[in-house]
Amino acid sequence: MTDYKISAKDVQVYYGDNHAIKDVNVDIEDKTVTAFIGPSGCGKSTFLRCLNRMNDTIDICRVQGDILLDGEDIYDPAVDPVQLRAKVGMVFQKPNPFPKSIYDNVAYGPKIHGLARTKAELDEIVEKSLRKAALWTEAKDRLHSPGTGLSGGQQQRLCIARAIATSPEVLLMDEPCSALDPIATAQVEELIDELRQSYSVVIVTHSMQQAARVSQKTAFFHLGNLVEFGETDKIFTNPEDPRTESYISGRIG
Amino acid sequence: MGRLNQFLGLLLGGTTAMSLLLTVILVLALSAIGYVMGTHRALRSASGDQRLLHSLKGYYGQNVALSVFVPSAILLVIWLVAQPLFINQSVSGLIADQVGAEGVSSALIVQDMRRVADGLDVVVAQGVLSDDAIAALDAESTNIRDVLAGVGVAVGSDVTQLTLDGARHYRALATTGNVLRGFVVLAVALAGFAVALRRTNKDYRARNVVERGVLVLLFSAATVAVLTTVGIVFSLIFNTIDFFQTYPAADFFFGTRWEPSFSGRGGASDLGFLPLIWGTMFISIISLIVAVPLGLFSAIYLSEYASDRVRAFAKPMLEILAGIPTIVYGLFALLTVGPLLVNAFGNGGLFGVNWMSGGTAAITAGSVMGIMLIPFVSSLSDDIINAVPQAMRDGSYGLGATQSETIRQVILPAALPGIVGAILLAASRAIGETMIVVLGAGAAASLSLNPFEAMTTVTAKIVSQLTGDGEFNSPETMVAFALGMTLFVITLCLNVFALYIVRKYREQYD
Amino acid sequence: MTDTPKFTSLKVQDPHTKNRNAAEKRFRSYGIIALAIGGLFLAALTFTILKSGLPAFTQYVMKLDVTLSQEQFDDAESQLLKTAVYRDIFVDNFAAQLDAQGVDVAYDAAALERMLGKVGGDIRAHYRENPNDIGVPTTFQLQLSSRVEGYFRGRVTRDTLVDSRFLEKADLDVVDVLRDAGLMTGRFNWAFLTGTDSGVDNPGGAGIGASVIGSFFMMLVVLFLSLPIGVAASIYLEEFAPKNRFTDLVEVNISNLAAVPSIVFGILGLSVFIQFMHLPQSAPLVGGLVLTLMTLPTIIISTRASLKSVPPSIRDAALGIGASKMQSVFHHVLPLAMPGILTGTIIGLAQALGETAPLLLIGMVGFVAREFPDGVAAGFLDPNSAMPAQIYTWAARADVGFYEKAWGGIIVLLVFLLLMNAIAIFLRKKFERRW
Repeated sequence: MTDYKISAKDVQVYYGDNHAIKDVNVDIEDKTVTAFIGPSGCGKSTFLRCLNRMNDTIDICRVQGDILLDGEDIYDPAVDPVQLRAKVGMVFQKPNPFPKSIYDNVAYGPKIHGLARTKAELDEIVEKSLRKAALWTEAKDRLHSPGTGLSGGQQQRLCIARAIATSPEVLLMDEPCSALDPIATAQVEELIDELRQSYSVVIVTHSMQQAARVSQKTAFFHLGNLVEFGETDKIFTNPEDPRTESYISGRIG
Repeated sequence: MGRLNQFLGLLLGGTTAMSLLLTVILVLALSAIGYVMGTHRALRSASGDQRLLHSLKGYYGQNVALSVFVPSAILLVIWLVAQPLFINQSVSGLIADQVGAEGVSSALIVQDMRRVADGLDVVVAQGVLSDDAIAALDAESTNIRDVLAGVGVAVGSDVTQLTLDGARHYRALATTGNVLRGFVVLAVALAGFAVALRRTNKDYRARNVVERGVLVLLFSAATVAVLTTVGIVFSLIFNTIDFFQTYPAADFFFGTRWEPSFSGRGGASDLGFLPLIWGTMFISIISLIVAVPLGLFSAIYLSEYASDRVRAFAKPMLEILAGIPTIVYGLFALLTVGPLLVNAFGNGGLFGVNWMSGGTAAITAGSVMGIMLIPFVSSLSDDIINAVPQAMRDGSYGLGATQSETIRQVILPAALPGIVGAILLAASRAIGETMIVVLGAGAAASLSLNPFEAMTTVTAKIVSQLTGDGEFNSPETMVAFALGMTLFVITLCLNVFALYIVRKYREQYD
Repeated sequence: MTDTPKFTSLKVQDPHTKNRNAAEKRFRSYGIIALAIGGLFLAALTFTILKSGLPAFTQYVMKLDVTLSQEQFDDAESQLLKTAVYRDIFVDNFAAQLDAQGVDVAYDAAALERMLGKVGGDIRAHYRENPNDIGVPTTFQLQLSSRVEGYFRGRVTRDTLVDSRFLEKADLDVVDVLRDAGLMTGRFNWAFLTGTDSGVDNPGGAGIGASVIGSFFMMLVVLFLSLPIGVAASIYLEEFAPKNRFTDLVEVNISNLAAVPSIVFGILGLSVFIQFMHLPQSAPLVGGLVLTLMTLPTIIISTRASLKSVPPSIRDAALGIGASKMQSVFHHVLPLAMPGILTGTIIGLAQALGETAPLLLIGMVGFVAREFPDGVAAGFLDPNSAMPAQIYTWAARADVGFYEKAWGGIIVLLVFLLLMNAIAIFLRKKFERRW
């Protein structure tokens, strides 16, 4: 077995007749931030959603090829997507806290997966997750007020706390900062850097600066193809493919 | 000539409805003529050249037609409301100095007079007596009650001379009023015709005038909804007040027995409201117990799980259930579900228990009504569940929740206010539902907890008290208005509250 | 909290996940069960309606050829007990027909009258009305008495029949023979569709025709009032109404009226139209007025939705070339919204057609539908019933023979409703426009 956390081989995704992802091969390492960049509609979000089978909820979507998580094919019929998603958590573009209290938002995952035996254990998980998401000091006095009452940046950190409460091994982030202001964005980026200590993070982003700031590896997608994948420094300073260079220098996208 | 006389006779002296119909037809005809003439006159003033007109030629015609129609229609409506009020006033004045001693309210006497007057109209219409013969009638020598009974009009008590005089006065006023109405309305129509036609010339700003007129018409159409509510409230309030003058309000609201005596002959009636509202609530709750889970689960399945094929089949099925008239459900309850339940729970039935003695019972009406409400609950819940943003679902699936966990722990709590609103609307439907309970629930009012027993509801009693042969101003009949009033207030509160909740909920996700 | 990973392999479901997936399956099955119950109920309802209602469209008659000579007619008319003579003539013809067919059965004239009612009177009435039939063979189709009809339908059996002056057990043997000989048969019951309500003791003679006419005149009133008023109100609210408290009041009223119980509209009709304005009781005109007020909110709500679906660009285009606001609405928006408006109106009418409770309060109960109106004005003003109220009256009668009529009436009512909905669906499909 390799050290790769996730490795995708010849992945094809179809939306009905539309061939959305073509021949994508990518290897994602543990305890690393991997950024997917590319112009809108290039398939980076679609590919991200393949990694925890979120595309299953869309009827017309078909996925071919192998995606291995710790060497196991996650599209194997025996795999339960529910268990998979506990291991591969996800944070979305727009903060989407449930209309519940902050505590219940974070406790939701551990509860459904049965991760806590007692109330005390659950409390501990919630506190730990909120701490990791750098929200504890702001939220500890209002754990039982609704999560929808937080500010945008706090809501997104709450969603991150909610995702890490199930102790995932991989965290997928789909443009987590696109709905946030610069200050909140900086806070979340800082958080992503800390999360790298314990998780493998995959982040889809529109902003090249953000990719350069937070990631160690970068993949550039264009029209459903993975054009280039490598060390972030290399991609941004010395890209191999002319398309990557055009994109980074602002000529396409 | 004879035909014309007959026609004029109908127009001026015929029954209220007949003369009304003719007046309306004449006004409409005059409008049509006005349209044609207005168009022509405008064109003539421009020597046949349309381009010289200020507005399109049709507007000149419409202007005349509206000038005929709008003022006379407004006058007619006002007259229709004012004339009965005026006559009532006048007849009350007639008896003002003569009542008081007997302790009967003058409103009831006036009502008696009106009923006798209506009866005399029928007598004349059927040719039993002529108008002259009625003028010569005398309460001492003729039993007017029998005369009226002969043409199928029931009057509660014997007709006194006072009542007869009042009735005659009433008829005279009504006839004069009807004649006057025909004349005045037609005069106004003609005046409008003349004025509008004279104004018509090529420089007249017909379009602007017509558009203002049309806007007034559109506006008055919108006020119909308000007038309907006002009509409902007034028709309930006045009759309810009349009822409470003959029957104590406290006995009505807190009485635990509902035993009206028939036709007011068997002595005092017990008209207690509690058994009826109890039956109403009991049956409504049974129906909600059936409808809420079935409707909610149908909606959840259709919006979250069902494939297109299932949906193409199940949605029309629910729409059909929603489109079936309640009389069909009522008949099904009475003739099919009732006997079926007796076979199951009755003496010697399938389950060997003897819980049910007759087919008409609270559970019969309640369960059928529940089925009727399924599409109502499910379509409302469907809308509400679909209003929950997809981001909520994604968030939950992304954490590894199964679909049912997502629905139960995220979607339903998020949709809860909307669903509560939908359930309240369904409850209001159940409380106001009539035909199913009239046919399926039985007639006996009881304060029982047993769903297998016959029960009755507010709506069923409104029907039975108002379609019975009791005289109109007896408490046994008038109680229906008090029942209607309480029904209206209860459903109004439920509706307003539910609509408020649903609207608030929608705004949250807009 | 444990530090070892909870799930060792993705391909092995841990017990907790197994439970969750089982719960998922259970939850999903609840939805299927709920829909299945609705479907089952609908199937049971359809089956019951057809099974119980279709017999109302058959009528059981005895067919018999009778030839009456002019002498026989003159002779009978000169007698004191005329119908008795006709009865004997009938019995003679009956006997002759049995002989001709080689049927052998014992009967007497009284038994025949028990089975067929007063045959003498029926025959006399026929010849007096159709003197041309005298001297030529005429086929009579005489309606069987309600108990014999009950025997044909299985409502009456030898076990349940109690000998009485209406029917005796022995008569049933005669009935069996006549049925096998083809003399007693069923035929389509036109009288049910074209007839009027009958007395409480004559379920066989009851027809729904008069109340169909009553419903028809009511629907005319509803159509001609609710469509213009509803459309006008919707145009005002959607296009012209300023945002003020009066508009809010109208809006609240409309959404609330849509949920007011129908019986309350019946009370409104009774006290405003009949008590106060003195419009005639039981008249389709009044029924139509009540149903109009009841249907208006539905029509206004659907009309406003159709107006809203016309994109603002159409309005802007008209205004941009100098049309007045009124012209842009009446020339462009309204025609484009018309299919939707008509669809909504038809659905509103269908709702009104099935409504029962308010009609009962204004006196449109079934038993007033005893004759057809003679003319258009009478159609609006003379007492009549409506289909659902007629069905209710039949359902409330003691004689079980009326139940069959009630189910049959429901079939007629549902056919009308299906037709109206089919037209609405057709309109929607044909004119559906996507912007």
